[in-house]
Order: sequence, then structure tokens, then C-alpha cells
Amino acid sequence: MLVVEDLEVRYQELRALQGVSLRVAEGDLVALIGSNGAGKTTMLNAISGLIPAASGRISWRGNSLVGLSPDRVCMAGVVQVPEGRKLFPKMTVEENLEMGAYLPAARKHLAESRKAVFEIFPLLAEREKQLAGSLSGGEQQMVALARAIMAKPGLLLLDEPSLGLAPVIAAEIFQVIEGLNRKGITALLISQEVLHSLNIAKYGYVLENGKITIHGKAGQLLDDQRIKESYLGL
Amino acid sequence: MNLTLVFQSMFSGIMMGSVFALLGIGFSLVWGVMKVINISHAAFGLLAAFMSYTLLNVWGIDPILSIAVSVPLLFLAACVIYRFLIAPLTKARDIIVPSMILTFGIAIILENLMLLIWSPDPRLLTTAYTSKVVILGPFYFQYPRIAGFLLACAGVVVIHMFLKKTYTGKAVRAAWQQRDAAQLYGVNLRWISMITFGLAVSSAAAGGVGMALLYSFEPHTHNLWLIYLFLVVIVGGVGSVLGAALAGLTIGIITGLSMAFLPYQWVNLLTFALLMIILIFRPQGLFQSEV
Ligand SMILES: Nc1ncnc2c1ncn2[C@@H]1O[C@H](COP(=O)(O)OP(=O)(O)OP(=O)(O)O)[C@@H](O)[C@H]1O
Ligand SMILES: [Mg+2]
Repeated sequence: MLVVEDLEVRYQELRALQGVSLRVAEGDLVALIGSNGAGKTTMLNAISGLIPAASGRISWRGNSLVGLSPDRVCMAGVVQVPEGRKLFPKMTVEENLEMGAYLPAARKHLAESRKAVFEIFPLLAEREKQLAGSLSGGEQQMVALARAIMAKPGLLLLDEPSLGLAPVIAAEIFQVIEGLNRKGITALLISQEVLHSLNIAKYGYVLENGKITIHGKAGQLLDDQRIKESYLGL
Repeated sequence: MNLTLVFQSMFSGIMMGSVFALLGIGFSLVWGVMKVINISHAAFGLLAAFMSYTLLNVWGIDPILSIAVSVPLLFLAACVIYRFLIAPLTKARDIIVPSMILTFGIAIILENLMLLIWSPDPRLLTTAYTSKVVILGPFYFQYPRIAGFLLACAGVVVIHMFLKKTYTGKAVRAAWQQRDAAQLYGVNLRWISMITFGLAVSSAAAGGVGMALLYSFEPHTHNLWLIYLFLVVIVGGVGSVLGAALAGLTIGIITGLSMAFLPYQWVNLLTFALLMIILIFRPQGLFQSEV
């Protein structure tokens, strides 16, 4: 289980997260929604150790992640697919996947992970020798997900994995995420596609101006009047 | 114009240039990957040259073989320097200027150390083969230059293979291209930076010995070498191994040709004029960076 309690993150004066609490139970897929600038990326980066928490607790499977460097968080099995993909642009697709399996624990399973990834994304097998920076947006997002799968995550943190993609490709990405969750990977999913993400999630949290304002079962949130108005445009 | 002389000076230029490349690659890599402009890079190379000098004159060890001593020693020294002097700097947002000041200080310390140990006299690496030449048709090649050339080729290939084929080398490239993502997938930035710095200084050691095979040297010579390092980065682009290699060769050929056909005092003038032209028209360097 991922437990975040009273998390505070500041950028100088700005209190980007103001006492946020959230839980993701083992095996669940949880959606985190919120408008631009709400603090969603900040939340994931604090969990991953890219930015320090001013106060609060973060733990995964009972071990605290507070104060760990990002590589240590990865070692603990918490793997982020960052906003904007952040591939290694001048490395080939193959090398990007290898970097996903950089840590020894994942590297041991390099060959089987690669096979698994190519089963999910057959297109990537054809692109293997191409530079990641030369791929289309949809292909790049596939590489970003594939790289994360190579890391053998226990918990996946996904930051807007469908942003800027054509609807068909976005749907495919959501399908893959749902499939990974079915195979037992716990996931925290940030997405602007509220309907889509609540449809595949079990629980949902709404983040507004650095605070959680609404949370509950995904089905309930879909019926919630406030969410319908603010996020679904109904 | 005498065609034989043109080719002869081009060959000499390529041999010199390959050594510039070896000396410059690590400088460029550290600049690109770590955002550290290591002003002491050439001083480490010079220190290795002096070590070779002593090993040659006291124990008769060939300069090329003496690299087996200086490279590991300087690798360790570089790791220690990284850990205790450079790593603390990396907390700052922009470390280019502080790192220049720090490494300038290191260069001064090294220079004075060399003055103390080896005195200010100019030295030459005089081996049994120093005056030997290979003659091929109308061309002749001096042994020390051939040795320097082979050393440089080997060094460049080793660095290139390290970056392309080993996991650690790939992590170096990844950390440079996408720092955050590299960390998110388990790359320990400090460790990778230390390795990068250590390797760069090691390659400077090999390059310094290569330079010493070509030119005489004394404890201030690293200041002159430093100018060549900047040349390599300006021509080759920051952080690119291939760029640095090609830049070294280009600079070598230009220097070789101008030494053959221009009065001595024009050589540097021409080199720097070309440099300014490059800076004006292609500030990113002549060759695309690709690490
Ligand atoms: N590095 C930074 N320095 C200063 N302020 C920042 C920094 N990163 C984010 N912020 C601010 O913190 C707040 C939260 O930003 P964050 O990126 O977490 O939002 P988000 O919910 O991910 O938004 P988006 O949907 O646009 O990705 C915003 O007001 C943003 O301007
Ligand atoms: Mg964001």
C-alpha cells in the first residue's frame, strides 16, 4: 500500500501541496484528477524523491520514502512515467528500454521483460533501432510506458500518459494501463481525461489548489454533481 | 605548391590532432554531462606527462607503458577530488562558474606541485625511438608521432565503446540527455558523475602523455594545452565524443598545414581567426553532438 499523509511541498513561497493525504491499496488503480496547476505533478515528484517534502509522510509497503533519492525510490519498486514522457532522445528505443531495466534487480529479467513489452507494443519491435527522439508522440508514449514496465514496478506513478495523443492511441494507452493493473501492478494515474480514468480506476481523488477536495469510489465520483460540472462538462 | 609537402603536413596534422582529440574528449564530456568546466583538465594531463618523464628516466619505462601507472592513479585522485570538492558544489543550481573557479585553483596547485618536484626546466620524453622515422614513398613518419597517434586512437575507441556498449556508459549518456528520467530509473547521479570525472581525468592523463611525445613541456605548459581544449569543444560541440574526435583532427590539420606554409607567427592567428568564424556562424560547433 502507498500511504501519503499530510504531505506539504513548497516552491519557495508557494505552497504547492498543503497537507495532502491519499492511499493506494495493493493491486488497486487510483485516479488523481485536478485542473492545471493543482499540484498533481508535484505530488508524484515528491513521492519519487525528485523534490523534497517540507513535511508529512510517504510510505510504500510499510517503508518510508521520505528523504530517499529518486534512484532509491526506484529501487523500492516505485516507478514514475513522467509528464511529457522524458525519454532519452538521442538513445535508441532499445537503449531506452535497457535504461528502464538499469537497476540490477530488473536487469536480471531484461530478456523476458523485453519480450513482454514487445507483446504489448508490437510496433516498438520495429522501431527498436530508431532514436527515441525521432518517434511520433504516440510511439514515444509507448516507449515511456515500456521503459517503466522494464523496471518491474510494484507501484506505477503515471503522469498524464495520454496528453496530446490522438483519441485512438489514448484509448490504447488506457487499455494497456488497465491490463498492467490486472496483472497486479498497483497504479496511481493522473489524467485530464476524467471520464476515461475514472472508468478504469477503483478510487478517485480530486486535487484542487494543493488540497484534496473530493475522494471516493470511482463510480460514486462519476455521479458526483461537482465533478460532473467542473470536470466532465455536464 | 608542393603536393608532397601538403600531404606530409596533413599527415602530421592528423597525428597531432588525434592527440588533441584524446586530450579534449574528457574535457568536453565533463562540460556536457556535469556542467563543470574543468580548468585543471590539462594540468592533470601534464602531471601524467611528468610521471612518464620520471618513470622513463629513472626506471627506463616506455612512456606508453607508464600510462598503466598514471591513468589508475589519476583516476583515483579524480574520484577523491570529485567526492570532496566538486560534489558539494553540485547543490547549487548553476555550477559552471563556481566549478571554473574551483578547478582553476586545482590547476594552480598542480602547477606549483610540478614546479616543486620537477623544476621549471623544459623537458622532452627522449626514448630510444625518438629520432627514428618510418619512410613510406615520399612521406616520412616519426616514431613518437606514430606512438601518439595509436595511443590517441585507442583512447578514443575505448571511451566511445564505454559510452555505447556498457551499462554504466549508457547511464552517463542518459543522465546527460534527461537528468530527471535517468534518476527516476535508478541512476545515482553522484556515482555517475564521479565515474565521468574519473574517466575524463584518466583520458587527460593518456592525452598528456601523447602531447609529451610530440612537444617539450614544463610546469606551465598546461595553460597552452587548455587553449586547445577550448578549441576542441568550440569546434566539436559540448559533450560529444565523435565531435571532439573530429574537432581534434580538424584543428590538427589546420595547424599542420599552416605550420608548413605560413610564417610561424601566423599559425595561431589563423587558428583563432577560424575559431571566431566558427563561433559566429555555428556557435553549437561544427559537428552535431550525439552522446
Ligand atoms: N519548479 C517549480 N518552481 C516553482 N513553482 C512550481 C514549480 N513546479 C510547479 N510549480 C507550481 O506549483 C503548482 C503546482 O504545479 P504542478 O506542476 O504540480 O501542477 P499540475 O497539477 O501537475 O498541473 P498540470 O495539469 O499543468 O500538469 C503550480 O502553481 C505551479 O506553477
Ligand atoms: Mg502536471
